[in-house]
Amino acid sequence: MLQLVYNINISGITYLLITISFTTIYYPTKFFHIAHAITLTFSAYFTYLFAKQLYFPLYLSIPLAIISTTAVGMLSEIALYKPLRKRNASPMILMIASLGLYTVLQNVISMLWGDDTKSVRTGEIKVGNEFFGVYITDIQIITIAVCLALFAACVVFMKYSRIGRNIRAVASNPELSNIVGIPSDRVILWAFGIGSALAAVAGILIAFDTDMTPTMGFNWLLYGVVAMIIGGVGSNWGLVGGALLLATAQHLSAYYIGSQWMDAVAYIILILFLIAKPLGFSGKRLKKSEL
Amino acid sequence: MEYLLHLLILVGIYVMLSQSLNLSAGFGGMISLAHAGFYGVGAYTAALLAVSYQTPFLLALPVAMLLSGLLALIVSAIALRTIDDYFIICTLGIQVIVFSLMNNWMSLTKGPLGIPGIPSISLFGVAIASKWAFLLLTLFFVALIFFFLKKLTGSSFGRTLRALSEDEIFAQSLGKNVYLSKVVAFTVGAMLAAVPGALYAHYISYIDPTSFTVDESIFILSIVIIGGMRNLWGSVLAATFLVFLPEVLRFVGMPNAIAANMRQIIYGGVLIYAMFRYSRGFSV
Repeated sequence: MLQLVYNINISGITYLLITISFTTIYYPTKFFHIAHAITLTFSAYFTYLFAKQLYFPLYLSIPLAIISTTAVGMLSEIALYKPLRKRNASPMILMIASLGLYTVLQNVISMLWGDDTKSVRTGEIKVGNEFFGVYITDIQIITIAVCLALFAACVVFMKYSRIGRNIRAVASNPELSNIVGIPSDRVILWAFGIGSALAAVAGILIAFDTDMTPTMGFNWLLYGVVAMIIGGVGSNWGLVGGALLLATAQHLSAYYIGSQWMDAVAYIILILFLIAKPLGFSGKRLKKSEL
Repeated sequence: MEYLLHLLILVGIYVMLSQSLNLSAGFGGMISLAHAGFYGVGAYTAALLAVSYQTPFLLALPVAMLLSGLLALIVSAIALRTIDDYFIICTLGIQVIVFSLMNNWMSLTKGPLGIPGIPSISLFGVAIASKWAFLLLTLFFVALIFFFLKKLTGSSFGRTLRALSEDEIFAQSLGKNVYLSKVVAFTVGAMLAAVPGALYAHYISYIDPTSFTVDESIFILSIVIIGGMRNLWGSVLAATFLVFLPEVLRFVGMPNAIAANMRQIIYGGVLIYAMFRYSRGFSV
């Protein structure tokens, strides 16, 4: 039972990091950056490239992977989303373009590294450390520490730093921010950089825990999106609640019905939330109209 | 020649899928990523009825359509409380739920093992065994669906859909029941998607959940967007192009494994390009 509580927490904490990384981008741009899934995947494969194919030491390959992944995320903003925004594209258009980008990049990864499972784990698989009758692997301890530290850093950063405050300003009103001298495009680029870097960390942690395939990012991203929709944008504690609620529901269903239903449960929760709060968390308009 | 016939049958199946999606996504403005789910429901219903109860095709087909339509009715009644990007996320969720039902409901669908040994279709005592005969049958259904959609979208219902996809409040102010029209369009689209599903199951004679994934949904949506929203002939051309694309790539000497990825890269790229063209909205 204690193991179950622990499993809930470890999933919840990973979801929290992903949902934070996704929300950082969603908050100022207001569109679903589906290609964020590929950011997660890319960081895992870059780590594999540097550590296993170029034989760099791990302390060098992980930062390199994070930097290259962040570059991919920022490039997608510069090359794709910014020109589209300049053409007044709606969030839906941006989302479909993002879907196209996801398809392209996922197949680039498949082509470069193949569809089979790759591993960056070193050494034999250990049983894990035992605390109070609960088994914890080393990587899970690192995951917990890193995720909590990054979450705390993110909360402080968004609240007190200049860039963080600019991101919040652009999120509440891009035009007004431009008028008072906050360049919304550059702020959004910052958001993409920060969000992609956080996702890169999450991707590397996932890769060390459960290996990688070219399609691994999609499910993780969708959990992050569900957690965001449950928790609400702009409220950090809401995201914590959303991530933990999702993890709890998934692990309880895995415990009582079977672990293969975890994906379905995540979406059933999403749909229940949409019934209970049909306006969505943000009270978004329901009808299309030209006002 | 056999292989060409095979490709033409696939083209027919994708034409039906994209046209049925065009009804909800193009005319109704409800872009959905759940279409492969409805396709799968059609395929599984027809397959299970044929394998377990030896149901004739002409009886299994309406049952498959009804089941798929019933699912779509429930789903759309919930999902249509949202619009645009939220609606896409909703349908994505439904797609994943349907996929995980197909993949995990072992006692009904046999999960990842799939359903083998689906018999070929026999109509009025005549078995449709050869590829030529199956192609004719597919073309018959393609024509039927095309004609039906042409009539439907030309009717007053079609005009209501077009109006509400551009401006819901205005359509409502003219006394149109927006919510009901959307639910009907979505449900009819899903029912039509069950037809290619049933045909596919009988044609391949083996189905498993991997044919009905999110990627398949993205592929069908790409056909609709590349062919043009509200453009039924465009869907025909785009489906033909995308089905023949990997063959062309193979023909110019690309290895098999890369050709499959290359096709996805190309249609992803075309999707991005199309978004630049449509960036001011689909209705312009």
